[in-house]
Amino acid sequence: MANVPEDSSDRTLEDVFYPADRVPFVEWDELSGAKPTVVLTGVVTLLAFVTGLSNLSQASLALNGPLTAVVDLPLPFVRFGGVLFAFILGVVTVGLQRRKRLAWRVAAVVFLGLVLLPLATFQPTDIPLLVMTLGTYPLVVRNRHRFDQSLDLSPIQIASLSAIFGVILYGTVGAYGLRAQFLELDSWSDAVYYVVVTIATVGYGDITPVTAEARWFSLSIILFGTGAFTVAVGALIGPAIESRMATAFGVMTASELTLLEDHIVVLGYGDVTASLLDELGDETEVVVVTPDEETVASLQGEGVNLLTGDPTDEDVLRDARVGSASGVVVGSNDDARDVLAVIATKNVNPDIRTVAAATAEKHVEKFRAVGADEVINPRSIGGRLLGQSVLGRGSSEAVLDRIGTGGDGTETDAPN
Amino acid sequence: MATSDASGIAEIVGRVLVPLCAASGALVLAGFFFPTLVGEAVTGPAWLTIALVFFSSGLCYIALLPYSEDDTAPAAADVLLRVRRTDVRQAVREFLTQHEPAILTFPVLVFAAFFGLQAAYPTRTTNAVDAAAATVLRGGGPLFLAAVFLSVCYCLFLLVGPWGDIKLGGPDTEPSYTYPTYFTLVFTAGIAAGLVFWGPTEALFHFEQPPPYVGVAAQSPEAINGALLYTLFHWGVSAWSAYAVIGVPIAYFAFTRGAPLRVSTVLAPILGAEGLDSVWAKLVDTLAVFATIGGIATSVALVSEQFLAGINYQWDVAAGDVGPVLFVGGLTLIFVVSSVTGIHRGIRRIAGLNIVLFGLFALLIVAVGPRSFILQRGTQALGTYVVAFVPLSLHTGGQWVTEWTVWNWSWWFSWAPFAGLFVAALSRGRRVRTVVFTSVVATSAATMVWFLLLGGTSLFIQQTGRADILAAIAQRGGSEAIAGFPLFASLPLGQLLMFLFLALIIVFMTTSADTSTLVVSVLATRRGLAPLTTHIAFWGVFQGAVAVSVLLLGGAETLQALAVLTGGPFAVISLVAAGGLTVTWYRNEQDHTSLVRGAVRKLPDIQTHHDVDPPEKK
Repeated sequence: MANVPEDSSDRTLEDVFYPADRVPFVEWDELSGAKPTVVLTGVVTLLAFVTGLSNLSQASLALNGPLTAVVDLPLPFVRFGGVLFAFILGVVTVGLQRRKRLAWRVAAVVFLGLVLLPLATFQPTDIPLLVMTLGTYPLVVRNRHRFDQSLDLSPIQIASLSAIFGVILYGTVGAYGLRAQFLELDSWSDAVYYVVVTIATVGYGDITPVTAEARWFSLSIILFGTGAFTVAVGALIGPAIESRMATAFGVMTASELTLLEDHIVVLGYGDVTASLLDELGDETEVVVVTPDEETVASLQGEGVNLLTGDPTDEDVLRDARVGSASGVVVGSNDDARDVLAVIATKNVNPDIRTVAAATAEKHVEKFRAVGADEVINPRSIGGRLLGQSVLGRGSSEAVLDRIGTGGDGTETDAPN
Repeated sequence: MATSDASGIAEIVGRVLVPLCAASGALVLAGFFFPTLVGEAVTGPAWLTIALVFFSSGLCYIALLPYSEDDTAPAAADVLLRVRRTDVRQAVREFLTQHEPAILTFPVLVFAAFFGLQAAYPTRTTNAVDAAAATVLRGGGPLFLAAVFLSVCYCLFLLVGPWGDIKLGGPDTEPSYTYPTYFTLVFTAGIAAGLVFWGPTEALFHFEQPPPYVGVAAQSPEAINGALLYTLFHWGVSAWSAYAVIGVPIAYFAFTRGAPLRVSTVLAPILGAEGLDSVWAKLVDTLAVFATIGGIATSVALVSEQFLAGINYQWDVAAGDVGPVLFVGGLTLIFVVSSVTGIHRGIRRIAGLNIVLFGLFALLIVAVGPRSFILQRGTQALGTYVVAFVPLSLHTGGQWVTEWTVWNWSWWFSWAPFAGLFVAALSRGRRVRTVVFTSVVATSAATMVWFLLLGGTSLFIQQTGRADILAAIAQRGGSEAIAGFPLFASLPLGQLLMFLFLALIIVFMTTSADTSTLVVSVLATRRGLAPLTTHIAFWGVFQGAVAVSVLLLGGAETLQALAVLTGGPFAVISLVAAGGLTVTWYRNEQDHTSLVRGAVRKLPDIQTHHDVDPPEKK
């Protein structure tokens, strides 16, 4: 069979029927982590929004689901619930993406609320939302430990948020108490409405204070309320702008780093790093940790994440999320610092796969001794390639292929 | 590297598919969520096209997604370069040299001859085939009934007997498929869209015309039990045991005795190891290929007609003459892509989607259907089924049994070579007991639950008069294709159920057709060689072409009858296979324990505890 091209010979019936050691029903590992949970929550958000809009667009909404037999849900709740829940869930999805504990707690409650809506109306359009919510909920529960970041509010943020809350409480209770001195303020919902309209400086004027006491009271709401509101906006938005600026200067902020998962951490920048980054390419996310500001500046816009810091410092490594990374490459030109970096890496995460590039043959064993899983000496590989090539034992590509299959290139401890 | 070639192409196709799927999906969702705003702005045929484009591009896309363990695929540009370099003449020569000549030419010639005759003398061909089918089914009726009954008995024996312990491929072989995957692949490959169409219909037909065995008045309350009983019987353990009886011998001789993984391997004990190269073995393989292509192609053609007939009934959307042809084309594209990407990618993923949709649909029926009626009538029918199984299986009475039971058994036997071979291929590393349990007990449990749910619901709706499904069927000339629509229209969430029902039809057809394509290409390739991507694509397109020809020239029913006729030889072959396997095992596999003896051994043996004396009374 001389005319059979080479690609037919290496496919056997074995490959057709048993392509892998074990073929699972679904790739649970890939589909059940924290990232899929965030994505699915996003999908639920979108579905809740569209379903809510769909319910809103209908002229009349009949409540004939199985839930209506048990409890009596108010029609406005069902009508607007989908869209409102979607807005809450949108914020929650962002929080979940940052692995916030609070976002997880809110999600756990909102999902339950979201199940009520389709069960109340039970139209064909509601079923996708119901199925998606019920399908995502176990995943949210399963990954509860992955969402462990505290909200980390600064004192000023806490103060301004509690001030807003306090003013609304003060205004509502006060307005309800003074309802006799207001025009058209009769109930608790009127009181809430009045306070919010006043704080937002909209002031329709349908509810008006008529006595001096009520006017002073209203003034106090305007002063404290708008004040707290303005401070809160500054306190919440300011840090976000700061972090944008910081990113622009090559330093990743803690919140951006928390998003990393199964990434590769490259410690130090040396002769081999550029080709290493090419090889890693778009396949996985890469974080380069280097103390050198100039290197950081030169790598701007190359599509890699940069963290300015000392790679031998455990705290910096924790910032680079070595704990959840899939591997670490240590490869600056300074073997002594690289050994320290390997030790620091293993201190942070003893199980992580650590690959080190040694600049001198004699350091290979030292790297192994401190726990590097694989040590490669780029110079000895290069020398052997040159030798193979000049002896005519195949092109350097072929030798590289052999290295690729786990061959001799990595056996740096063999005598050359 | 054929797979990586395919994944290079996959990258190219993926770039086209993603926008296509997203755009059509967005339109479908808009129409679904805002029927009053968007739905009426688009015409019926346009909706049908958009929905089908969305569905097929989505299925192709999930089939083409890379598998995590696969090596990196070559870039799309490399593949295009290789395509340009390929010499057509050499490719054809290679294609021919790698095929088994007889298996390549015979089915192609037979189908060509059939279509030639069908085009030249349509009535005479149809009459001749129908007469032959009628004669075979009437004359061979007892044979089919006996073969199926013996298969069930043999499966029961394998399940509890000592040989259930035999591990296929030796004691150290580990199965390559996790159990859920294994069940899903076996179940979805073994049954096609017939399950979906007949689900709401078969019980109704038996309700309208009670089987002679039941002997009650038509459409009476007593007929309900008989109708459900016969539906269970036709789709239950008997039907599925045909696959196991072909599959287990293939798996045993292939994995434990080193025979090739082909249908003819069932004859290994009779022909001997050298005999597997003989004319007889080739004849069996050729017949298997013919039966498989005939069975799948006619199913594809009939399913596409019925699918569009249903849509025409419900939404009054006429697909015209081109509609079915385009539909078959789309279906062919999906199953070719699915089978080319391999078991672990396309076939497994679409099968998984299939089982999820199947479960979801069953859950929805439980949620909106008459639960207590189904539970009460279902358990009653199930009880009768267990008690009356033997008399039902041996009941040979007259025309009705020939038309229903015997036809069914023959149809299942004509599918047995491909489904059996597929079951065998997946069963490496599993115990015989697991294989039989999965391919007979678990699968038939799933189908029986389905038929009780859907059949029970349609009987309830018909009997309480909430909809007259039988009248609707009669109005459309007795077509089983439309029964689902009046049924779902009378239930809550009707529209959603109809969409899911239509989706299930496509997915169930795809999951059978992609495995059959793979199996046919394995059978047609020379022994020891694996089918290349081009071979699989050729056989897939060939099946599609047969289906299209059937649609264009007519005679789908005739070709189906012809395919069903191949069930006869396979009924005989399965009995021979079971006999041969028994003799082989009797000689070679004596040191196994049956479930019964194992259970007895586990009981505490009181006599052996001499040392424990009863405590003395004080």
